[in-house]
Amino acid sequence: MSEIKTQLVVLGAGPGGYSAAFRAADLGIDTVIVDVRETLGGVCLNVGCIPSKALLHVAKVIQEAKHLSAHGVTFGEPTFDLDKIRGWKDSVVDQLTKGLSGMSKMRKVKHVQGYGKFTGPNTLEVEGKDGKTTITFDNAIISAGSEPVSLPFIPEDERVIDSTGALEMRDIPGKMLVLGGGIIGLEMGTVYHALGSKIEVVEFLDQLMPAADKDIVKMYMKTIKNKFTTMLETKVVGVEAKDDGLYVTFEGKQAPAEPVRYDRVLVAVGRKPNGSLVAAEKAGVTVTDRGFIDVDKQMRTNVSNIFAIGDLVGQPMLAHKAVHEGHVAAEVIAGKKHYFDPKCIPSVAYTEPEVAWVGLTEKEAKEQGVDYEAATFPWAASGRAIASAATDGLTKLLFEKDSGRLIGGAIIGTNAGEMLGEIGLAIEMGADAEDIALTIHAHPTLNESIGLAAEIFEGSITDMPNPKAKKK
Amino acid sequence: MTNLIDIIVPDVGGDEVEVIELCVEIGEAVDAEASIVTVESDKASMDIPCEGAGTIKSLNVKVGDKINQGDILGQMESSAATPVPEAELAPAEAEQETPKAAAPEAPAPVSPKEAATASQGTKTIEVKVPDIGDANDVEIIEMLVAEGDTVEPEDGLITLETDKATMDVPAPEGGKIISLAVKVGDKVSEGSLVLTLEVSGASDAEPTAQSAAAPEPTVVAEAAESPAVQQDTARKAPPVPHHPSAGGKSSTGKVHASPSVRRLAREFGVDLTLVKGSGRKNRVQKEDVQSHVKYELSRPKMNPGSSAGTGSTGGGLQVLAQPNVDFAKFGEVEEVPLTRIQKLSGPNLHRNWVTIPHVTQFDEADITDLETFRKEQNAIAEKRKLGVKITPLVFMMKAVADALKQYPAFNSSLSASGEALVMKKYFHIGIAVETPNGLVVPVVRDVDKKGIMEISKELMEISVKARGGKLKSADMQGSCFTISSLGGIGGTAFTPIVNAPDVAILGVSKSEMKPKWNGKDFEPRLMLPLSLSYDHRVIDGALAARFAVHVSGALSDLRRILL
Repeated sequence: MSEIKTQLVVLGAGPGGYSAAFRAADLGIDTVIVDVRETLGGVCLNVGCIPSKALLHVAKVIQEAKHLSAHGVTFGEPTFDLDKIRGWKDSVVDQLTKGLSGMSKMRKVKHVQGYGKFTGPNTLEVEGKDGKTTITFDNAIISAGSEPVSLPFIPEDERVIDSTGALEMRDIPGKMLVLGGGIIGLEMGTVYHALGSKIEVVEFLDQLMPAADKDIVKMYMKTIKNKFTTMLETKVVGVEAKDDGLYVTFEGKQAPAEPVRYDRVLVAVGRKPNGSLVAAEKAGVTVTDRGFIDVDKQMRTNVSNIFAIGDLVGQPMLAHKAVHEGHVAAEVIAGKKHYFDPKCIPSVAYTEPEVAWVGLTEKEAKEQGVDYEAATFPWAASGRAIASAATDGLTKLLFEKDSGRLIGGAIIGTNAGEMLGEIGLAIEMGADAEDIALTIHAHPTLNESIGLAAEIFEGSITDMPNPKAKKK
Repeated sequence: MTNLIDIIVPDVGGDEVEVIELCVEIGEAVDAEASIVTVESDKASMDIPCEGAGTIKSLNVKVGDKINQGDILGQMESSAATPVPEAELAPAEAEQETPKAAAPEAPAPVSPKEAATASQGTKTIEVKVPDIGDANDVEIIEMLVAEGDTVEPEDGLITLETDKATMDVPAPEGGKIISLAVKVGDKVSEGSLVLTLEVSGASDAEPTAQSAAAPEPTVVAEAAESPAVQQDTARKAPPVPHHPSAGGKSSTGKVHASPSVRRLAREFGVDLTLVKGSGRKNRVQKEDVQSHVKYELSRPKMNPGSSAGTGSTGGGLQVLAQPNVDFAKFGEVEEVPLTRIQKLSGPNLHRNWVTIPHVTQFDEADITDLETFRKEQNAIAEKRKLGVKITPLVFMMKAVADALKQYPAFNSSLSASGEALVMKKYFHIGIAVETPNGLVVPVVRDVDKKGIMEISKELMEISVKARGGKLKSADMQGSCFTISSLGGIGGTAFTPIVNAPDVAILGVSKSEMKPKWNGKDFEPRLMLPLSLSYDHRVIDGALAARFAVHVSGALSDLRRILL
């Protein structure tokens, strides 16, 4: 049993954890990072954001090659070498985790591998492969993340997988049920569909991606109608594992009468925080019934030397939120009077097409009683979108009516996630429609659609009929 | 024949005064000497009368404005061909009219922008007092708006004070105030009409009653934080860097500041809603936050002691802020707002206490003979039915006036530069008077020239006035020296605070029979304790001791005053 004494221990090496650890180290704090995995990067790098994007890239190119036949370029039917695809995905993960490991060494952040649990307000015990390590710390940051929710009535069967299992890509199932119409399920559905699986999606609520606005999701439904079968307002009530497949019984609006056979069931009904898995109560930290840890705007828990960040402090469970929270926690520990004080946090579904939104959605604006006006630019009116065969897209901006201040935006279409950055920056900077409309956007780009949507609000649009023209 | 004349602020006794009430409305016909506005200085409130009779045509001021002598309050159309000659400044308190419920029209100046929005289809709504809990007959303690003001939705209109808390009644919608139906001091209940609001650009579909009753009153936890007070501090002309205050107008969520500016504001604990942005479209820049912090650190504080927890240091002094204690933890508590006089005099007392190096000289006077004499005179006065009662205080005033003559340094003030003394050739003495609303200091003029009876009579009048809150500003100005007598209550000594610009103050405690050695044996003598606080920058200790001995001597043997 070894002992370590440090100024700061970070429990969990996901994007939030390693960002916090690196920031702290750069601010001169002696830092130790603890994680179960051998590599840094957590779920995001190892079994989340990054590997899924590698596979989505493959899926996208397959789809585009197919579409090209309509424009006179025809490729042969693709053949898939699963080992190679998986190998490529793994190499992406490898490259990034190696990079992290190098940066960690450079910063002299010590990595202790193992399962860390608190034993007191200043002590943590890590159970690793090579025995126990006791870490005595001044401050701690809990960044233990979240894990997929599993459903109790679904039998344990290797054909029932979660996102991690889906990323392993053991084979390409003939028919896969995606249980849950959220971002993760739809992304994996997109990948497997491109590789040839038949995909059916079941969602309990009346809309896929429930957080996004209806008009955006409606367009998404239009684009996927030939790819996925969707069952909305429907739930799974039973899964029976038989030799020839998993027989799933449904209930609800679009439920098939008889149980349906699937080769695979991907359970993607959400993620639950790991707050209750680190024995935080031994340190005096309060964990909610659902496993979240409450923090203040400086990411401090109810115990003054213990901070928490990322998925386990609350929604949205997104890496980029965790990174910023991690920086704040590290800076506060280093004595800076910083606060986690964003106006907006972007959300992106890397589906085909991408769906992205930031700031207020119309739904939220209505709930909050904000007097807003939406301006939507359809990509069918964009030269670049037409030329790129990407007319299935919308750029929608929400403005506060009085001030013209941008309060939210949503984009569906190719590269929507990349375009979202401008909207987020504009919200943070307090830009109004005029500011955005007067910013010259390059032509022809998809990004241009943001400037054009602002022009619609302003009543200065010329690329489309101008509904406000007469009033001006 | 009519002619328009300006209503000009007369001599209001020095500094700027605050308008606390408008007594007339535009279009109202007024008699000569009718009160136009009520103003309040740091010493007293008074009415400003109009010169002649006529009709009020315009008013340029609203409640909360600061005005000075010579400012134009508004215009009136005189009904007489020639203006009535100005009468002596005699505020007609009794004639003060109660403002009528409905005002006929909005004041003249309307900005082009307002006019434009008004033309876009407006509607008029009546703003009523919303549900304010069980409280009925709640007093209006502050009017936050005046007729003609433009308000945003949720802006405070009036402040109500219940036995539990003060709360603002917010505007249900933005628009222009057409008329006020209430004034400070009125009692209102749920549903009482507050004012009429012209809503700009409103849709006709909205039912009036619904929109008028919708908003909940915002409860203001601390009186010190009410918008009106914030506005006060924002308007106060600072002797320091420019003050980028947004005027205390809190527009939550509408602050225009980038993430880096928000971070800076967080570091310094600056509430960005209070910072006026200098950038394009009022965007708050880093420089705005910096100058706001500079201003907040250097500006005089309304009440630094109680502003603890709001991030301020101790009123420009480098001291810790008061800890924010939740007294309710220790037992039942109740929060009672400071009276107006307390709020006004607090900062003055605090300034005097921290800026004047105080020393207090203790002494006692043998008033055995004086008391015998005084009682004899009172008995005679009663027999003759003079209606005057002589108090010991009158003799003290005479004794002090005599001592001031002997020691002119005590009858001086430091010049503004602090490098010269202003020596006074008159002998006005301030008397600290306890009133139900707080401490006031009326002044008796030319004490040296007046007789005991005359001063006694004047004192009686003054204290009646003071306790009735009827003192005028002029009654409380021009003192050379102050006497604070607690003799009627008790105590052996205390350390009074010099009432600047005076340089000394005499505290008087309760007289007591004491054994005094007369050279052969102990004799019972009635001894009066004296506590003389003085500004050590002006007065030396030896001089103060002499002054105290002189006062003591004069009281022991009044004949000495004649010498």
